[in-house]
Amino acid sequence: MTDVQAPASTRPLIKVEGLEKLFPIGSSRFRAPDAYVHAVDGIDFEIAPGESLGLVGESGCGKSTTGRMLVRLMEPTAGSILLQDGEEMLDIAAIEKRDMLRFRRRVQMIFQDPFESLNPRRTVYDTVAEPLTVQRVGSVLEREMRVAKLLDLVGLSPADTFMFRYPHELSGGQRQRVAIARALVLDPSFVVADEPTSMLDVSIRISIMDLMLSLAEEFGVSYLYITHDLAVARYMCDRIAVMYLGKIVEITDTEELLANPLHPYTKALLSAVPVPDPAYKRPDVLIKGGIAKAINPPPVCRFVDRCPMATDFCRTHDHPDLEDKGNRHFVACHLVESSAG
Amino acid sequence: MTISKAVPNDAPILEVRNVVMHYRTEKGDVSAIENVSFSLKSGESFGLVGESGCGKTSMAMALLQLQAENATFKGGEIVLNGEDMLKMTPAEVRSHRWSDISMVFQGAMNAWNPVHRVGAQIKEAMDLHIRPQLSHTESRERIASLFEMVGLDPEMMDRYPHEFSGGMRQRAIIAMALSCDPQIIIADEPTTALDVIVQDQILTELKKIQHDLGMSIIYISHDIAVIAEVTDRMGVMYAGKMVETGPTIEVFHNPKHPYAFLLLSSTPSITGPRRKLAPLEGEPPNLLDPPPGCRFHPRCPFVTDQCRTEEPPLAEIGGGHQVACWNWESVPPLSEGLRK
Repeated sequence: MTDVQAPASTRPLIKVEGLEKLFPIGSSRFRAPDAYVHAVDGIDFEIAPGESLGLVGESGCGKSTTGRMLVRLMEPTAGSILLQDGEEMLDIAAIEKRDMLRFRRRVQMIFQDPFESLNPRRTVYDTVAEPLTVQRVGSVLEREMRVAKLLDLVGLSPADTFMFRYPHELSGGQRQRVAIARALVLDPSFVVADEPTSMLDVSIRISIMDLMLSLAEEFGVSYLYITHDLAVARYMCDRIAVMYLGKIVEITDTEELLANPLHPYTKALLSAVPVPDPAYKRPDVLIKGGIAKAINPPPVCRFVDRCPMATDFCRTHDHPDLEDKGNRHFVACHLVESSAG
Repeated sequence: MTISKAVPNDAPILEVRNVVMHYRTEKGDVSAIENVSFSLKSGESFGLVGESGCGKTSMAMALLQLQAENATFKGGEIVLNGEDMLKMTPAEVRSHRWSDISMVFQGAMNAWNPVHRVGAQIKEAMDLHIRPQLSHTESRERIASLFEMVGLDPEMMDRYPHEFSGGMRQRAIIAMALSCDPQIIIADEPTTALDVIVQDQILTELKKIQHDLGMSIIYISHDIAVIAEVTDRMGVMYAGKMVETGPTIEVFHNPKHPYAFLLLSSTPSITGPRRKLAPLEGEPPNLLDPPPGCRFHPRCPFVTDQCRTEEPPLAEIGGGHQVACWNWESVPPLSEGLRK
């Protein structure tokens, strides 16, 4: 479980082990909680330098909670998040509040809604320069030049026509470009992007995705790209991890996942994605209904109640571990046989 | 239940002819719908696609005469079974609304009144629109059969909205839209807030119901993949204009308006080869002051001088496929993409 998920030759940039987040239900100051929602329930993955990993799943599967823990906007209940820091690995989950400043230079986040993630009373310059001010980087003049350079890079050029505008003067696509400039202004090595294009129109979406891809190349950034849209994940990501009720059920290279899904949930998810071709006939989706919350779930496979293939073995054994089935294709299912490899 | 709706099978039951609708605002008139025409036959499903602000939801509201108060019609007709809805009195419109033409609104699953039982809310719609009114028992029987039709347990009718999941609430909304046996349902982004697996189930059920009841559906969506799956014919809207319309398969395989072409070229898919997608440069125009000539010309890679001054009409190019573009013949086949 702890080994080889990122290419073996390179050291991972991010290594997540046993990450867990439980939300108590019905607790108060004088009362122990009745139960816990297992939002993220012991997940492991690695991200290589410059790689972008997609995290996909239905709403409520724990993908956003995972993203927020990776930038420490949420405290993990258990587990470690190791970030490559020179020769050492820094445990993000264990950083003290006072040491957070240094960590924030390395890890940034882009949020879903560009209408809510920008302060309406601050100009584009204020927003993009704030990380530099907080981190005390450079002189005022240097900061201004850095902001101008970033605005040019994200396609808000000429930069001086945008610098002193307010968010309400910008379109949704332009706002998301500002958010991207803000995330990259400190030259971070890792960015969590939580559905950065889902609020945007189709025609704007591709240009934002292309921008993120070209900036990843230019800055050598790794992304954790959170999305519910598999077609978007395919466009953006080298590898994809599929989450279901707090567990990663399958993780492998993007094209391998699409061509050869092994977990029954991944298969259902893929067959439910509408295809922009009226002549294409999708396979039938074999599972029904939406997902419930994982409130004190039994230790068996999380998917067992909806799984069209579930056996008595699945109902009586612990949730399966992620296992390599060949070609770095990891699946957590009792029923998938290992292929040679 | 069956109100006589004798319509010859091939004649359109709804015809939208050259509708122009503007919103009056403090800054001036917003030209939200400009000269839009399309028709809907009995039993047919028609899709309207376009980006936010292109006028597709304004069009839906106009079809039900539920447009905002600052909307004014500057021309055109919306003919439902031979009668022009734009000339009707509010009372006459009410007699058609819901019983002839009903709607599944965007985000309607969040519009249930939380303090009334779901069944009671559906009964209210039926009491208002079905003449003669049904008895209490008849209403309950009808709701039970509607619930079965949309895949809900009939016992759920006595539950409150918070006891339903998102997908179930949306199913109940569809049951309500069907409750007065309409000829036409307008489904405005019916599955946009739902996860793909639930979306698949609801679209499958809508298709089945449409087939079983011989109903017509107008689907409105920004997601062209959904339109590809559920419609027979479709129209692409841009900045208040209909730019391309025709059989869905024809528009998808052979788009001839540059906007439709670029929209399809910039849609990622999980099937087919992984390819670089062509972005659409620029942003949609401000409809307070739309560009002269073709409204797409500032973003169009095929633009010529004519496009900047003269507005192209929606013209037939064969097989019911209509395009509003002066240079549609220069748009390459979709498979070749756009080479620079």
